Amino acid sequence: MMEVIIRTEGVWKSFGQNGPRHVDAVKDVTVEIIRGKKTALGGPSGSGKTTLLGLMMLLTTPSKGKVYIEGEDVSRFSEVFRAKIRREKIGLILQANYLIPHLTAIENVALPKLCTDMAKSRAEDIARDKLEQLDLGHRLHFKVAELSGGEQQRVSIARALVNNPKILIADEPGSSIDKKLTWNLLKLLDDMVKNNAMTIVLASHNQLILDWADRSYMMDEGKIV
Amino acid sequence: MGVQKHTNLASYALGNLFKYRIRSVAIVVALVISTSLLCSTEFIHEGVQRDIDYSLEEGPDIIVQQLEAGRQTTIPMSWVGNISQVPGVKIVLPRVWGYADVGSGKFLTIMGINATPYQNIADAIGTRIQEGEFLQEGATRTIVIGQGIVDLMNAASNPINVGVGSVISLIAHNQSLIEFTIVGIFETDSNIYSYDMVLTDIQSARELFGISKDKCMDIAVWTEAGSYLSDVAFRIENRLIDSRVLSQDALKDAMLRTYGDKAGIVALLWTVLLLTVLLLAFTVSSAGSDEARREVGLLKALGFDTVDILEIRMIESLIQSLLGASLGISISIIYTFGLGAPGLAGLLLGWDLVLLNGGIPLMISIATLFLVYSMALIPILVATVIPAWRNAITEPDIVLRGI
Repeated sequence: MMEVIIRTEGVWKSFGQNGPRHVDAVKDVTVEIIRGKKTALGGPSGSGKTTLLGLMMLLTTPSKGKVYIEGEDVSRFSEVFRAKIRREKIGLILQANYLIPHLTAIENVALPKLCTDMAKSRAEDIARDKLEQLDLGHRLHFKVAELSGGEQQRVSIARALVNNPKILIADEPGSSIDKKLTWNLLKLLDDMVKNNAMTIVLASHNQLILDWADRSYMMDEGKIV
Repeated sequence: MGVQKHTNLASYALGNLFKYRIRSVAIVVALVISTSLLCSTEFIHEGVQRDIDYSLEEGPDIIVQQLEAGRQTTIPMSWVGNISQVPGVKIVLPRVWGYADVGSGKFLTIMGINATPYQNIADAIGTRIQEGEFLQEGATRTIVIGQGIVDLMNAASNPINVGVGSVISLIAHNQSLIEFTIVGIFETDSNIYSYDMVLTDIQSARELFGISKDKCMDIAVWTEAGSYLSDVAFRIENRLIDSRVLSQDALKDAMLRTYGDKAGIVALLWTVLLLTVLLLAFTVSSAGSDEARREVGLLKALGFDTVDILEIRMIESLIQSLLGASLGISISIIYTFGLGAPGLAGLLLGWDLVLLNGGIPLMISIATLFLVYSMALIPILVATVIPAWRNAITEPDIVLRGI
């Protein structure tokens, strides 16, 4: 039986507070993400897939509707609890990688552990393991600017995995890398799903990625089409 | 949550300070300048207060003076007997004092007293002889000097090594030279009022200042134990209508006004500096906010909450403030205790005051250190808390929207 890990139920996300710049970025969207599967959100730029992803990541709250994670309505959780869920259950791979430039690769990967009670040295041990798994053992102490685009992408993935999340959410993961690196990335994500029973949700307009996913939702003008 | 998380956040905050090192250094330098100035002023101010307390302990309970046209003038010796009859009065001592040049342009305070009664007063200034002996009754043109005179002579451009048995010449009121033999060197807890003091017999002092035998400059009064100083002072004032009676409280006020008021100028300067630091802290906290906001958005997306972010920013401010204040205090200690506060001491204590390195009254107290740390810490925390809070409440979806 397929178990739903994330469910959005009639969610809306509006910006502009009904003023002249009012925008409904997501309109009445209901989607279900199945545990252990790869789900892709497709659609053109501005279709609302990144906003929907943000709602699933608990980076923002819905204007209307509900978001469930493992059956629990988290849409009205306080900021502290949303941060806790992000920390414990969700790994994020962001579009521009968003690494902190003055930190080294290993420090960037260990970053999510700093807001826990784990000692920094222990956090860096785990970060080292993750980076070594992604063939970046020789780049541990390199600053972000000293890494190639592909290496930065892998550091970003290692950071997403450092807390052993149940859910990995990626926004446009192939946007800043070439086709070969995109294939490598998808292979890596495949391994994670197989080895760690991880659920993956991606937003992309890359057909390669949409084809790779087990399930896809297409969006346009804030709605599932 | 245990301590480890806070250690991690502190470590991250420290990294940020290194990252924005120009901003950090600017705030720390501004704090160092303002706290060192405040601290130096306070060390001297407190030292002066303590010195005044010492002076009062070594001095009489009451001083009786006479004013003429608003200026202090000589007193008829007949007042001595009159004051002796006031209930509560224990010792009455006429004094002849003034300032005399040793030829170097530096003026020394010369105090003429009757040796025997003066010597019997416990802890009276100049009676704690460290070398030689005190003045002998009936002996003239002998002096006991404070250690400061010895230091002064040694530090002069043409150093003179004076000690017991040395003879020094003082310029008298009629420009003649009068030679005095040093018979003793005294030690004292007070620096300002006794550092350059010379004690001699009252007759020699009269000769030096041209004061007749039936006159003195003022009358020092010591009261009986248990008698109320204000009551005794009131009775003296009633008995001698022309007198000005100064009790220890009035003397302390006068001394504090002389040396304390100038500290107000420095305090004003310090306030201006502190406001500059505040503006600087506020400005730099608000500056570069786009980059800072993006970083906050990322941290929150990775699981940090608003309190964590606020803690990081507060730790940054705390480190800057503590570092700035600690360096400021350290520099201040070196500047005042080590170097004798050149410039500032002259400004606060008066340029003409005879003071040498080590002679400046200085005092360091826990209260001052607490004040300085508070003044460095609280305003910086307040100045940075608003931008820090604005920063910390950034919605984490900023990292998705690429703002």
